[in-house]
Amino acid sequence: MAWRRLVLVFLVGVPLVAVLAYGFTRDPREIPSPLIGRPAPPFSIELMDGRPVSLADLRGKVVFLNFWASWCPPCRAEARDLEAAWRQHRGEDVVFLGVNIQDTETGARGFLREFDITYANGIDARNRIAIDYGVWGIPETFFIDRTGRITYKHVGALGTGTIHAKLAEAREGVASNREGKGDYRSVQ
Amino acid sequence: MTTARSSSGLLAALALLLVLAAPALGADDDLERRMREVASGLRCPVCQNLSVAESTSELARDMRALILDQLRAGKTPEEIRAYFVSKYGPWILLSPPARGIGLLVWLLPALAAVLALGGALLALRRWARRPARAPAGADPAALEHVRALVAGEGAAGTLEPEETALVETLRELEFDHRAGKLSAGDYAELRDLYERRAAEALARAEEARRAAAAAPPPAAAAPPPSRRAWRWATVAVGLFVFGVVSGYFLTRAVRLRSDGGSITGDFLTGTPESAMPRSAAALSSRDVGTLLSAGHEAIVRQDYQTAMTAFTRVLEIDPGEPTANAYKGLLLHRGGHSERALAAFDLALTREPTLAPALWGKGLVLYEALGRPEEAVRVWQTLLALKIADEDRKHVERLVAEARAKPAKTSTPAPPR
Repeated sequence: MAWRRLVLVFLVGVPLVAVLAYGFTRDPREIPSPLIGRPAPPFSIELMDGRPVSLADLRGKVVFLNFWASWCPPCRAEARDLEAAWRQHRGEDVVFLGVNIQDTETGARGFLREFDITYANGIDARNRIAIDYGVWGIPETFFIDRTGRITYKHVGALGTGTIHAKLAEAREGVASNREGKGDYRSVQ
Repeated sequence: MTTARSSSGLLAALALLLVLAAPALGADDDLERRMREVASGLRCPVCQNLSVAESTSELARDMRALILDQLRAGKTPEEIRAYFVSKYGPWILLSPPARGIGLLVWLLPALAAVLALGGALLALRRWARRPARAPAGADPAALEHVRALVAGEGAAGTLEPEETALVETLRELEFDHRAGKLSAGDYAELRDLYERRAAEALARAEEARRAAAAAPPPAAAAPPPSRRAWRWATVAVGLFVFGVVSGYFLTRAVRLRSDGGSITGDFLTGTPESAMPRSAAALSSRDVGTLLSAGHEAIVRQDYQTAMTAFTRVLEIDPGEPTANAYKGLLLHRGGHSERALAAFDLALTREPTLAPALWGKGLVLYEALGRPEEAVRVWQTLLALKIADEDRKHVERLVAEARAKPAKTSTPAPPR
């Protein structure tokens, strides 16, 4: 009788504890993106220098699309790596595009000056582009291949290694199975 | 004299203005309601446990604006939901679709409820069956003895204190029953219980007196009679129903109805939500529609301070916004700032030359405050050329007739009431 009760408790208790334990290993803020492997949502944005740019114009090039804000520490952490990668790849068929969200214009300009960023940046004041890309944590980076398809998404700070590897994949048109994750801040 | 006339005229003006502006606002309210309907089904990506409708985060605010735009563009709520799912995945839906792993969320609670009910029923049946084999506990001869003792026959002197107490209790029971203090059912139940106990006690005493080595009768504690089982069953069912009912009503009653609204709405206080002031949240919004309706509500409540704040905020965002200018003009007129009121009405009319509230208010300022009835009449005639409600038309026509009767030079045209 006693051992039967013990078995019953284990049968119910162990899966329950296992499910709870599994829950603790997961990030409740993480929102898996359905966008990888799909066509990148089209948008146009006015750059900091006043020039307009639209994603459709960049067809045929690999696009590195980075959402950021000046108040977000991981964005600061990756800023130098991003600029270094851009200087290495500029002149190739690669376009780096930064989209500033949930920020002030002074803050954004100060950030670009501080890290001496030379790739194109624009402000998405109403978060329309961010919502279109399902942004929930910044920095968030999308790699878009020549046909306008999203091949990889990374939430959180990027390092040069990942940038080079994923740019190479995007050139080949190879889409990743999973998105990457690093240190990020939730959007406001 | 002038101010008295002016303020009573203004109240009429505000009332009229609300009527004139009603159709447009009705449409806005409907749009807002549909937006909230969609937004309340979407999970806010920032705060996780709030819907997009309830969250005050910047992203949720922009999502609400996006939903409004899409509704205005003629998208259906289904299409808008599908749009958000295509961006954030099914994660964004507060109620997951009943497919795949999401099906579990829908089925598990029902399964658990069925299992729990089944278990409870089984337990109850076991309970109810127990007393059926119980009453064999007492020896019929001992019972007879007890009854005789209660009736006052037999030797009471030989009894142990425990038995005496039980017999006393039985006598009291009978007395209470006769006095009508005990129902027949309760009496029967209690009598059976005590008689059995007394009989057992007697039997035990007997055996002890005989000093026999025989094992005492299996003194299985008096099993509860079946009536008690049913009482438990009633309590259990009652608790279950209470849980279901409170679960249903609490979740319906306690939720945020609007930005900064009460979580109970009018459910507990009886105050209709429309009568409750919008909080500073609405006023700090950057959405023109939200601000305009907040200003509107403030005017209905006669909270002119808040109304002015709301319209001023609109004009900060869009200095030429006609409706806000018209309202601001009326509020300025009410405060006695006729020239500034006139300027506000003119600003409203440059953007929208046929805006009824602005035409009405401009005429009012010209007629009541500045003593220029001819100009007022001209402005009002423009208003009369528009499509307005019959009642308003009569009201304006009467004022036009009144203004025509006054000579233009009189600076205070209003007679005392």
